[in-house]
Amino acid sequence: MTTTSLARADVAAIERVDADRCAITVETRSGTFGFDCATSETLLYAGLAHGLTLPHECATGTCGTCRARVMSGDVEVAWEEAPGAAKLKRDKGDILLCQARALGDCVLRVPSDVAERPLRHQIPAPRPGVVGNLQQLTSDVVHFEIVLAEPMTFDAGQFVVIEAPGLEGGRAYSMVNYGRDLDRLELVVKRKPGGGFGDWINGPLASGANVKVFGPLGRATFHPDEGHDLLMIAGGSGIAGMMSILSRGVRERYFETRKAKVFFGVRTLADGFYLEDFARAIDAGGGNVEVTLALSHEDAGRLDHPDFPTVKLAHGFVHEIAGEAMAGAYDNVMAYIAGPPPMVDGAIRSLIIGGVGRSAIRYDKFG
Amino acid sequence: MSWTYLCDASEVAPNTLKLVDAKGVRIIVANYGSGFRAMPPICPHMEEPLDESGVIANCVLTCTKHLWAWNLATLEMDGAETEKPLKTYDLKEEDGRLLALVDQELTYDFDEEDDDDDDFFGKG
Repeated sequence: MTTTSLARADVAAIERVDADRCAITVETRSGTFGFDCATSETLLYAGLAHGLTLPHECATGTCGTCRARVMSGDVEVAWEEAPGAAKLKRDKGDILLCQARALGDCVLRVPSDVAERPLRHQIPAPRPGVVGNLQQLTSDVVHFEIVLAEPMTFDAGQFVVIEAPGLEGGRAYSMVNYGRDLDRLELVVKRKPGGGFGDWINGPLASGANVKVFGPLGRATFHPDEGHDLLMIAGGSGIAGMMSILSRGVRERYFETRKAKVFFGVRTLADGFYLEDFARAIDAGGGNVEVTLALSHEDAGRLDHPDFPTVKLAHGFVHEIAGEAMAGAYDNVMAYIAGPPPMVDGAIRSLIIGGVGRSAIRYDKFG
Repeated sequence: MSWTYLCDASEVAPNTLKLVDAKGVRIIVANYGSGFRAMPPICPHMEEPLDESGVIANCVLTCTKHLWAWNLATLEMDGAETEKPLKTYDLKEEDGRLLALVDQELTYDFDEEDDDDDDFFGKG
């Protein structure tokens, strides 16, 4: 049976702050919680902003992880055809929290364990921001920044969801930076065929554009006091979160005593980026930081990068290169994974076969 | 109830999964090294196809989508993130042939037409 920490009426009485907001009660496997929600915000964002660890991954309709059942009350669904909604039982009242807005007070059920403001949890919130400082890093990779109207505190490894004008829904991107009360997010996007945000950020309207940011989100975070050696496996723009982890490690002299091995997958030598940052981290690491650029579509015929010789080169898929290089060397390792879903799945598979415990694997899938 | 042929034991290498069609019922056969299990073809979490998302190491089956995992020797849930048990068919091996007792197709709560509120929490 589900335990109930508060009767529904009590929750509604405590949480209702004004008549324009809806009182949301959410029944979970770990208890019943309440929060209030404006009709303009999604149930997922409102619940997360209250400090609840509602299950979610992409927060953008793709993955289906934030499914819930409406027990009473009315909701409005923004994107009925969301890929993550394909398996929902709509006749039972099932919804994706990231796509639904309350039209009045609601009682929801979420089939997961949920906590309220756990330790080390950065509570996300919506913030307006302005896009700027766009830099083309390769033929299809752009580094950009968002200046926030209100500062944000976020851990190394976290991400935000960005809504750009004229684009439906949000897109999730990891920050390259990290810190307390920052008013500037550093981000990187790789342009994909038919990719709406990638096209937009490369287009004439991006610089100076007003965007909406929701965050910080994500559990693939780095905390130096945990004292692990770090393994990072990333493909394409998935390297963003790894850069923030490396940056924090260097700044806090973490690599004087701990090791970091970064495996970064790109197609060809020309697709590599952040190489100067890698070279600096390797230099600062004094032998404890290794970076391997895995080229899936090119054999460079050499084992070091021609321009940044401390960066190693390998030919093959990044999760396979990492699996081979790490075999038997997983003691006290915390593994971070980010990139295209097939790469993430392949990397998780390599790690589990290699004997890495699941609690030592951190990733967020944007799907 | 009837014992239904799945495949030969030799067709499923240790630490691999094989999807078979047992008289119209799709079943995954798992070889966890010291034995075999037969189960529905999807993860009880979000219906991922386990023949693609599943990986077996040290007797533990893990779905790589969200790291839900089960010990195939004991059928216990493995790790705090796993919230639902794995369902399995009774299985026997005769002369190198794997047979499962397939009375009716096993499904998870989210697939049942008559699921009630408790089922939504995986405790039905």
